[in-house]
Amino acid sequence: MTAPLSLNRNGHSLTTNVSSRNYRILFERLPVRRIILITLALVISYGVIVGTVATLQTGRYTTADWVNLFVAGVARGSVYAIIALGYTLVYGILFIINFAHGEVFMAGTFTTFFIASGLSSTGVLNQYPIPSLILLFLCSALVSMLVAVILERVAYRPLRGAPRLVPLITAIGASLFLQYTFRGFYGAQVNAYPNIDILQGTISLGGYNVQKSQILVTLGALLLWLALFFVIERTKLGRAMRAVGEDREIAALMGINVDRTIISTFAIGGALAGAAGILFVQLFNSVWFFMGFIPGIKAFTAAVLGGIGSITGAALGGLVLGILEAVGPILFLTGLGIPSPNQLQPIISFGILVLVLIFRPGGFLGAPEEKRA
Amino acid sequence: MSRLPRWARVGLLGGFIVIYLGAVGMLESFSARPIVTGVIQFSVVLIAVVYMSSGYLAARPGKDELESNPRRSAPLAGVVAGALVGVFVIAMTLLAEAGYNPRDMFIAINPALLDILTFGQSIWAGLVIEVVLGGVLGLAASYLYTSSPNTRSIVVTTLTTVVMVALAAPLFTVMFDGLGIPDSWLFQREGLTVIGAIVVATATAFLKWYLLKTGGARKAMLQVPKVTEKNINLTLWLAAGVVLTVLPWIVNTFISDVLGTVGLYILLGLGLNIVVGYAGLLDLGYVAFFAVGAYSIAVLTANTSFLVGGTVNAPAAEGFMNFWVALPITIVIAVIIGVLIGAPVLRLRGDYLAIVTLGFGEIIRTLVLSDWLKPYLGGPQGITQIPPPPLGPLNTRDPRILYYLILAFVVISFFIATRLKYSRVGRAWAAMREDEDVAEGMGISVVLYKILAFVMGAAVGCLGGAFFATKLSVANPGSFTLLVSINVLAVVVLGGMGSIPGVIVGSLVLVGLPELLREFGEFRLHIYGIILVAIMLLKPEGLIPDARRARELHHEDEEPITDVAHVAIAGGHE
Repeated sequence: MTAPLSLNRNGHSLTTNVSSRNYRILFERLPVRRIILITLALVISYGVIVGTVATLQTGRYTTADWVNLFVAGVARGSVYAIIALGYTLVYGILFIINFAHGEVFMAGTFTTFFIASGLSSTGVLNQYPIPSLILLFLCSALVSMLVAVILERVAYRPLRGAPRLVPLITAIGASLFLQYTFRGFYGAQVNAYPNIDILQGTISLGGYNVQKSQILVTLGALLLWLALFFVIERTKLGRAMRAVGEDREIAALMGINVDRTIISTFAIGGALAGAAGILFVQLFNSVWFFMGFIPGIKAFTAAVLGGIGSITGAALGGLVLGILEAVGPILFLTGLGIPSPNQLQPIISFGILVLVLIFRPGGFLGAPEEKRA
Repeated sequence: MSRLPRWARVGLLGGFIVIYLGAVGMLESFSARPIVTGVIQFSVVLIAVVYMSSGYLAARPGKDELESNPRRSAPLAGVVAGALVGVFVIAMTLLAEAGYNPRDMFIAINPALLDILTFGQSIWAGLVIEVVLGGVLGLAASYLYTSSPNTRSIVVTTLTTVVMVALAAPLFTVMFDGLGIPDSWLFQREGLTVIGAIVVATATAFLKWYLLKTGGARKAMLQVPKVTEKNINLTLWLAAGVVLTVLPWIVNTFISDVLGTVGLYILLGLGLNIVVGYAGLLDLGYVAFFAVGAYSIAVLTANTSFLVGGTVNAPAAEGFMNFWVALPITIVIAVIIGVLIGAPVLRLRGDYLAIVTLGFGEIIRTLVLSDWLKPYLGGPQGITQIPPPPLGPLNTRDPRILYYLILAFVVISFFIATRLKYSRVGRAWAAMREDEDVAEGMGISVVLYKILAFVMGAAVGCLGGAFFATKLSVANPGSFTLLVSINVLAVVVLGGMGSIPGVIVGSLVLVGLPELLREFGEFRLHIYGIILVAIMLLKPEGLIPDARRARELHHEDEEPITDVAHVAIAGGHE
């Protein structure tokens, strides 16, 4: 991909001999892409630097404000990181983007809403918060796992080896299908997930007041991540998963059951997404059928940012994205005199996605150019 | 799973599908739509189709079997499916009686649904009815399986046509009223009458039988002296032209309006088809160009636009410029934005490109929604009071006139898309789509051609957006969600990527039908999801495949894809 283009720029392109018309040669020699990229990079760096300096100069926000934003970003980023693991695992092994992963996340979370509200109305939730939370985690993980496994079985397995666009379009269809299935099941309204009293309020940490729920979310995510890391690096299943990702045929020759390994990958990714859902509702406590879409895209961004296929990358990408999302709009945009900067938060997330893919498609920890198929 | 015989697995799957259809609320909604008024509703037809499909699948030999025993396995599968449904109804009723109402969680599992599944009888009688129904339909399916292909084709076509005609009853009623043909003998309250059903069935069966006997309509006509291939084509084109011209005058304004919407989607579909079908670039942010077109036309022509200093409450005397002057400018804007977005990202691999374009779509939507650009683009309210395109003395607010306008642009785009496909450029795209590296080696500048495809798609999408805005006389962010991109994608995929007639069929089916069948409106996106998955699994080249594209989609692994069809339908194995 890179080589022929650089040839173009030096004027030794193969196309020069073929095309006789001058304007085409001119257009091909003109590094349009490079000009646009450099301009883009300059404009964005300029905006970010000027915005940051100007915001800090106004002194409207205290250090405590920034710390709060930062911690909120870390908590949110940890959830993204856990969802991102699902994308990364599947991509690492099948090289497809499981576009419906956000809906897998929604499925578990939405379903456990009914258990949580049952527990809450009987008072069990606040009486025994920790067993209740564990129960919710398990249920959510189980439902999401089930959905992920069915998804793999019905939608993706038949398409192994099909041209790339085919599984992607299937995934988009599956995403719509799951959203509207759960809308049909549970209704279209937005539900408030019941709060757990002991997680409300703040505690003092190093002189700053930090929300308890944010600490729980961050720690929970860390535990989940460590568990996954252990599974991938230290167990037989993890080794099988890495082997299948490396080369499916050879792995099969080595006696690995490829189908079972792939379905386990989906199951693990799904279970993590379901568990992440319970963390998610501690931060944003509304559940409805469309709740998975935006976190799904953001988690995908996190996975790409860290280097898709890499588990450490997903964690890193999630944290960076979460922090940039929480701090970014206010830090970069207030100084530029843009009203209600938080409205533009999606631009920061999607902007990061676009920029990473343009400038470094491999992400932080990935190879500069991923395997092409 | 593997211990269960095939008929049991297929039967259970069928039962689960019926329960699923009930739990998402489809059966309840569709029970309001009669097929044969007073005799059978669409919900019952759906259940019957599931039972018959189970039976039919069970009749086929399994993967490891050489032959099957259809008379035994098909009814058994139907019975299993019916029994599962019956047991489900009993379980739900008992649960509700025990104080755990399933309705608290699954809103659609309510008495109305249970009533549909028991056919209004008690739960135990309901179980018996379901089992018998499943068995009988399974047996019918086994006869269908063992019959000759011609008989099978006649039966299936006849039944499908009756259901289709019945579903489209409101449309036919309007058209017959418009033409002054009495139709009360055929249709009654949105469904067919018993006599109507018999007439439609007999006519279809006879026609299908005749066509099968003579080897297709075209062949039959060619046997008439002096009729040539060319004459037939010409006649077909002329007929299509006449129908399209008189159509708005025999239907009411509502249907003309729907036709306008279908036309818009054909326009958008033709544009996206260039990007996805010809060049093989999956663009999920197509709505971005749609929005650019709508907003550009709004800003340039509305008298509330900031360009003329108007506001919603105090609009200026007139817009900045005339629609017909604004249209080329809008297209130029779209082209520029297309190049700006396209040039940096088009080197990305297919699936990354899809996500990046999706990101761009969301960025544009966030921008138009924001307070930041509110003074220019109106924030959440958008820009209102966009004037209709001036067209001499004609009132272009009338959906019928607008229909002709959109039709004209559809015809132009159709012509361009067809010519483009077989041009040098079109062949370059095809080469690039099949193998980028080889295409590059053959002297095709991949980046240039990708940008070209992207920009052409952008221009057509923008044209669609401009008409959309003038049609609604308002451009607001609510109209430019990701779902628009997915709708258009579904249109292209259903018809067949790269196929121009496919786009037209796709729009009619996916955009036209749901507008007319209000019970389907609620499940529109649900059904889109099912269609996208089903098409990709079973027929990735679409309903009306483009020959070259079909070969591409099948050449790599013929085996897995055919194999898939079994597995996906049959459910679990080994």
